[in-house]
Formats: sequence, structure tokens, C-alpha cells
Amino acid sequence: MAEKRARYQNRIELLQGTLDLLILQTLQWGAQHGYGISVAIRNRSGETLQVDTGSLYPALYRLEKQKWIKAEWKTSENNQRAKFYRLTATGKKQLSKERSRWAQLSAAIAGVLNPFER
Amino acid sequence: MNFLWWRRKQQERELDEEVRRHIEMAAKERVERGEDKREAERAARREFGNVGLVKEVTRDVWGRRWLRDLAADAHYGLRILLKNPGFTIVAILSLALGIGATTAVFSVVYGVLVNPYPYANSDRMVHLAVHDNAGNRRFVNLNGPQLQQLRQARSVESAAAMDGWNLTTTEGDLPEDVQAVYFTSNAFNFFGVPMLMGRGLLPSDAPEGQDPENVAVLGYQFWQRHCNGDPGIVGKKIQLVRKNYEIVGVVRPRFTWGDADVYLPLKLTADPVRTFFIMTRLKPGVSRAAANAELQSLFEQFAQQTPSHFPEHFRVTLEGLNDQFVTRIGGTLFLLLAAVTLLLLIGCGNVSILLLARATGRQHEMAVRSAIGAERSRILRQLLTEALMLSFTGAVVGVTLANSLVKLIVNWLPEFSFPHEASISINLPVLYFSVGLALLTGIVFGISPALQSARPDVAQVMQSTTRKMTAGLHGRRTHSVLIAGQIALTLLLLAGAGVAMQGFVRMMRVDLGYDPHNTMSVGIPVHDNTYTTWEARRTYFNQLLQKVAAMPEVVSAGLSTNATPPSSGWEQRFEISGKPAAEQQRARINFISSEYFSVLHIPLLQGRFWDATETMHGSKLALINQTLARQYFPNGDAIGSEIRVPQMKGEPPFALAVPGSDSWFQVIGIVGDSRNNGLRDPTKPAVYVPYTIRMPVWTQILVRTRVPPLTVLRAVREQIHTVDPDQQSIRDVRDLNGWITAQQEWQQGHLVATLFAGFAILALALAATGLYSVISYTVAQRTGEFGIRMALGAGRKDVLLMVFRSAAMSVAGGVLTGVVLTITLNRMLARWIQGSSLDALVLAGVILLLVATSGLSCLIPARRASSVDPIVALRYE
Repeated sequence: MAEKRARYQNRIELLQGTLDLLILQTLQWGAQHGYGISVAIRNRSGETLQVDTGSLYPALYRLEKQKWIKAEWKTSENNQRAKFYRLTATGKKQLSKERSRWAQLSAAIAGVLNPFER
Repeated sequence: MNFLWWRRKQQERELDEEVRRHIEMAAKERVERGEDKREAERAARREFGNVGLVKEVTRDVWGRRWLRDLAADAHYGLRILLKNPGFTIVAILSLALGIGATTAVFSVVYGVLVNPYPYANSDRMVHLAVHDNAGNRRFVNLNGPQLQQLRQARSVESAAAMDGWNLTTTEGDLPEDVQAVYFTSNAFNFFGVPMLMGRGLLPSDAPEGQDPENVAVLGYQFWQRHCNGDPGIVGKKIQLVRKNYEIVGVVRPRFTWGDADVYLPLKLTADPVRTFFIMTRLKPGVSRAAANAELQSLFEQFAQQTPSHFPEHFRVTLEGLNDQFVTRIGGTLFLLLAAVTLLLLIGCGNVSILLLARATGRQHEMAVRSAIGAERSRILRQLLTEALMLSFTGAVVGVTLANSLVKLIVNWLPEFSFPHEASISINLPVLYFSVGLALLTGIVFGISPALQSARPDVAQVMQSTTRKMTAGLHGRRTHSVLIAGQIALTLLLLAGAGVAMQGFVRMMRVDLGYDPHNTMSVGIPVHDNTYTTWEARRTYFNQLLQKVAAMPEVVSAGLSTNATPPSSGWEQRFEISGKPAAEQQRARINFISSEYFSVLHIPLLQGRFWDATETMHGSKLALINQTLARQYFPNGDAIGSEIRVPQMKGEPPFALAVPGSDSWFQVIGIVGDSRNNGLRDPTKPAVYVPYTIRMPVWTQILVRTRVPPLTVLRAVREQIHTVDPDQQSIRDVRDLNGWITAQQEWQQGHLVATLFAGFAILALALAATGLYSVISYTVAQRTGEFGIRMALGAGRKDVLLMVFRSAAMSVAGGVLTGVVLTITLNRMLARWIQGSSLDALVLAGVILLLVATSGLSCLIPARRASSVDPIVALRYE
């Protein structure tokens, strides 16, 4: 059991920056609940990225603590109460920052992986 | 806090719902995709993962997790503890006794040794002491000009002088003795203690070269006793020996310098003969050795000016304020601290045993918790929380107990062996100590059982049923070691108590050589500038004696300047006519009237007493005690020989002597030995001479009465009053039994013996409880085994023996270890419990007591085991 817990924690660490970016990006298209976010990420990544709930919820609470997203209880389209998260103004700024950092990072990694294409 | 709690609940509820919705939505989507409803729900749940764990890691983001865990652990711990009240009460009591006793003794150690004085920078205050060639320590007093020179010394920050005298009130019906301390006007500044009321003495109270102002500062006790704590006392007058003083202030309760009733300004004269007690504070950073070295040359200079105030050869050895008390009582206190530490350890052992026994019972619980995902550290924390809850509850109960125990110890402390400034109570530093102790004990007794049960072998425990035929070997071994340890420590404590009690009983049975019953000594201080001629003082003392002797309640009365037993006389070098005088030929010189021996029932062995006429003339006659006769006149030729005490001179106007008091005295008789050097040390050689030979400003009347003597004290005082209306007697009058129990060795022996005995009995009770719990627990665990054995034909006696045998090993091991420990520590013990050492009889008695108690505590569970019905035992779950 202890190992399982460690696995969760490892994954959070591994994905930390990236997961935050993905969540913020997902919320740019509108407020969404936790399940919705995980489905959206899965679908948009072509089923490649499976967001673990053990990473998703801590990340949501962390982002909320940073005031990048805000949570509200709302009734969804099919008449169900759910906790919706939406992007705040600072969250938007953070998103653009993270996007550019990601762009830099992936360019850099691409550069390292394909040194002759430059 | 409440708000936080409410918010936390809210957050918790939201998280629950959020997770539930998540799973619902996932399931719904699956249903919409055409899956079976129940299948969909299960899949959604599986996909979500471990709900508890997700919540757990999410909560981590909230922070303050440790607090939440602590609250949960405490809550659970409380439930567990309340569910087993028997266990809880025994555990808490075991700890409370240990922590309480340790706290009480520590508060005495703290009050007496660590922080006894309220004075500013008291660690730098010193007494001026020197050691002479023979190794005797002496305080040196300085005269006015010398004090001024001392103040100039490089290592000295400041110095003040004091003098003491017995004054008396002259307003009431009977004069009341008043202890006056005269201070130089800088003294209150020197001590640096704020006043309770009014002001201290100021330089303007004692202008240089003039008589000081008539102002007085009251001691706290005197203000309470004499003025009934009058809050408006400042500004009022008090009459002392027919002189009015204006009261300008009252000192705080802990300001007890000189145990004075009043503080008056001192006239510091330039007279080289007048000396004063000097209080000195060294500069910061100056070592004692450096100060000694500097003052050595200064004092050698002083010794040339006033040779009679210094020993011939000396070494300056400054003494810190508390040094003498540390020597007198430090060892005793640390001995007691060691004893209570043992008690505490035994208590901890007890709780460890109980926890271990219970831990085995909780193996299943731990295994389950581990199986559903509890980390090892988490289980450990839970168990430690329980242990700490026990130890803190124990500490609270213990501190309450300590409060009463402290009062008891303070009452029993040898009254002149600790600074009267000390405030001995459960104060903040002591409480810190107790809390630290609780933490430490919690960890000490909690860690081993916790470590053991936090490592459950899940598979094994889960597979096996809760029913076990035999106990695990490992648990049993730990138990044996703990029990043996307890027994060993208890034996050590019991042996210590035995030795202390034996020593004290021996002291109480000592042959005094005199009869202390129904006798008291009434101290009489003479006022300054009264009865200043030899004849006047002799007549006065005789009048006082005759008045008291004529009282109907009085059987007999005698005068003794300095001879109240069991510590009496003035130790001086003496010479025997016609024999070479050895340097170390010393005797206790007693100044008495010849009735002294009949009052105290001391027999005359040879020769005769001097008579009243000879007393009044100050005849140069001497009686010696048997010890002196044996030691210096082994041929029995004492009577008729001549002895001389060279230092026996007058010092007018204080001590008035007959001419030739330092010349030869004829020995006219030998009296029986009576104790003159305390209760423990052998009687010293003694010489008795008529009190008229040398009369200081002080005398004592020994009174033997028909009734308890203190009941006639007031009548005696009235008789004295008729001779001189201003003549008081000292306040602290005791009967001779009172002076025996006031002996430091008596009080120390009493304190150590009583407390040690008390602690040892508690230790014995704790060890017995420990043993009882272990045996009962083992018996309960082995019920099944006993059932099988009995079913197979074992008799009750066999089972009984089996139980005893299991205990006998640990008890025997403990006794052996204890005996080895006791013998090893014996020398240390003998040094601290003075005058006693372990003898075989005490040790044998202690072992017997311990074995008997152990046997008793095994008997009950053993009988329970042997009366087991095999059928019931085999069904026993």
C-alpha cells in the first residue's frame, strides 16, 4: 500500500508543471468540473494522456490555492450539481507564461534530440 | 479554532461530494455508451482508483496535516484508554508517582541549588573566607579602613559591611527579641532587590563621621509577625531598647539576609578593633582563582595591621554564597534525585509492560490497519500519541501530588542547611522540567512496544485466529527483561532505604550521656553597653539564675554560656602542665555553673564539683570529661593536674574575664561523657570551667521542669523581666529534644530515611503490580495451553508450578542484578547517607521482602491458572 501511495506522489512530481499547464489550458474554453477536465485532456490527447485522479485533485486544489482558478458549485446541463472550476485573470496570465515556457522547453528538447535539423 | 474546525468540515464535505459526483458522471457516461448500469459503476470506481487515498493526497494540499492526524490519533487514543479503565488507571498512577516524586525533588534541587537567591548577580557575590594551615576554614571580618581598601581591589566590583545584634522591643508587656542587622548604606543598592514597601537604607541615613539616622527597614517575617502585615506601616515608629526608629520600608519575603527582623544603618568607624562582616561582589569575568590571588596579598597586608583577626598562616579561599549549602545538602538532594529517578524508571517499566501486554492483544488491529494502507510511521505515531497521552495525564496528576510532597520535604529539610532565601515551589522552570519529563517518559516507555507492534506480520496475524496456544517467544523475553530490570532497581532502592533507616535508628538510639527530657535552654542576649564590669555582669547572671531556680515548676536550673548539648563548647587548644603541648591538642571549653551536671543528669566519676562560692569568685578550677581523661591522663592522674587554655582571654566591653583567665586551672574532677559534637561523631575531649571565668554578651539558662518545659516559658520570661525590664530572651527557645532534632545529621537522616522508605515502598508496589500484570497476562494467554496440559493429565500443582517457574527466572535474574548493583554502588551510597553502610542483614532482609512480595503477586494469577476447567479452557477464545 505504501508503495502505491509513493507511486501517486511520484507521478504528481513528474507531471507537476505539465499537468498544471494542461488544466489551465482546458479551462480556457470555459468552466469545467474535475471529471470534465480529465475527459477533455484524455480526448484532446487522443487517449494518450490518462490523468490520474490522485494527481488531478491535488493539482486542482493547489491551483485554487494559488488563485489561478476559482471553484463554484453549479448545476450542470443535465441537472446535476458539480464543482466547476474557471480560470481567473491571474490564471490567464499564468497560462500564457506556462505556454511560452513549454514552447521553449519543447524547442530545446527538440533541438537536443534532432541536432542536425537546425 | 472553532472557525478553523468548521471550515475543515466544510472542505471535507465538499471533497466527498466532488469525488462522488466524479464517479457518478463517469458511470453515467458509460451507461450512455451502453454499458450495464452496475458494471458501469464498478468500472468508474475502478478507474477512479483508491478513493481514500486520493482524498488523502488531496488533503495534503490543504496543509496542517499533522494537526489533523494528531487530533484523530488523540481522539482514537482517548477512546482506547477509556475502554480499558483498569489499564489506564494503573498506567497513569505508575507514571504519576514517578513524575510527581521526581518533580517534587527537582523543585527542591532547583530552589536550593540552582536558583536560591533573589539578589542581583548573586553568582558573583562571595564570602571572604580563608583556610589556615590545619585546613580549617574561617570567615574573616574587616575593619572600616580595610573595607575601603578592599573596594579598591581590581577584582572587586563593590562591597558592603554588616554587623548584627540582638535588640528588643520596649513597648509591649514583655520585651520581644529583635534580630537587628546593621548595614552600610550602600547595602540595599548592593543587593539590588526592590523593596516591598517604602525604601531601603540610603547614604543620607548614615552620613560619614556622624551617628546614623534613627530609621529602620523591617524584615518581611517580622512585619507579618509583629505588625500583623500592616500595609500602612511605613512612616510609623518602632521602639527598640528605648530608642524610637522611623520605619522607612519593608523588604520582600525572599530578602532574608542575616535572618534579620530589622535592618538599621551601620556606623562605619575608623576604629581598627571594630570589625564587620563583609559582603563582596566580584567584577564580571573575574575568576575565583584570580580574585583569591589578588586578595591574598591584600589580606597579608591586613594581617600585619591587625594580626589577631587572621590566622597565623592562611590562604584566601573566597566562597560563593551557596558553596556551604551545596556541601551540606547537595549530596543528600542528589541522592534523593537518584532515588526518584529509579522510581520513575520503575514506573516507566510498569507502563511498558502493560503496553506490551496490550500490544500483543492489539496485533490483529495493527495488522488490519497495515493491510488497508496505514504506513508504519503512521501506526508508530498513533501508538506514541497514546503513550504521550498517558504520560501527560500522569504528569498532571504527578504535579498535583508533587505540590503536597514539596511541602513535606521543605518541612523536613535540615533548617540550617539551605539558604532561607530559597523559594521552593512548583514554579515555571519546574513545570518545564515536568513537561520535559512527561515527553521523555512517554517516548521511553512507549517506543519499544510501539516499534514492536508497528511491524506486524500481516499474513501471519491475519491467517491465524485470535486464539493462540502459546505466547510468542519474543514478547516473553522482553517481558522477562523488563521485570528483571524492575526488580533490580527496586532492590537497589529498598537496600538504600534499609541502609538509611538503619543509620537513622542507630542515631536515635545513640547514648547521649545526658538526659534531655523536660529540659530547655533559654538564651539571653545582653544589651549593648549594659553590665560592663565583671562584677556587675556576674551578679546579673546569678540573679537571673536564682530567680528562675526559685520557680515552683522548676526542678533545677543551671547556667551555661555555650554548653547546650548535643553540640557544645568552644573548641580551643589547651596545654597540660608539665607535658609538652602538642599542636593539635584541642578540647571543647564549656562555661557553666556547677548545677549544669545535676540539671542534665551527668554523673561525676571522680573528684568534686566546684561550689557556688567558687563560681562567684571565678576560681580557676576545671572539670574534664572521661574522653579527655582517657586520652591525656591514661595513668589516672588527672585530678590535681593543671591545664591552661591560652586563647581564653577577655575582650572588653564584650567578653569580660577574671584576671589570669589564660593561666593554669586545677582539675578537680572527672564527669561522664555527654555528646558535644553532634549525634554521629564521637564525643570530643571537654573541659568545664565556671561561667564567671569569661562572660560574653550572651548566656543561657538550662531549666529542668516538672511539666513539659515550653509550657512554663512565659513564666520564666516574666521572672527574667523582674530582674531587668528590658531583658528579653531569644524567640527560638526549644527543649533539649528539640535541639537534638535540630541537629543537621538528625534532620538529614530523618529526611533521607523517611523519603527513601516512602519511595522504596512505592517502588515495591509498582514492581509488584508490574509482575502481577505480566503473570496475569501470560496466564490469560496460555489458558488454552493449560487446558490441553490438564486434559492430558497435568495436575493443578503442575500448572501452579509452571506459572511460578516462568516468574522465578526473571525475579531471580532481577534480584541477582540488584545485588550486584547495590554492592557496586554501596561506596557511593555510604558517602551520601553519611555514617551508614550496607550490612548483610539489611541486604538479606531486603531480598526476602522482595521475593515474598513477588511470590504474592504471582500467587493470585497462578491460582487462577490452576483452577482452570480444561473444557472451558479449550473452548476459550
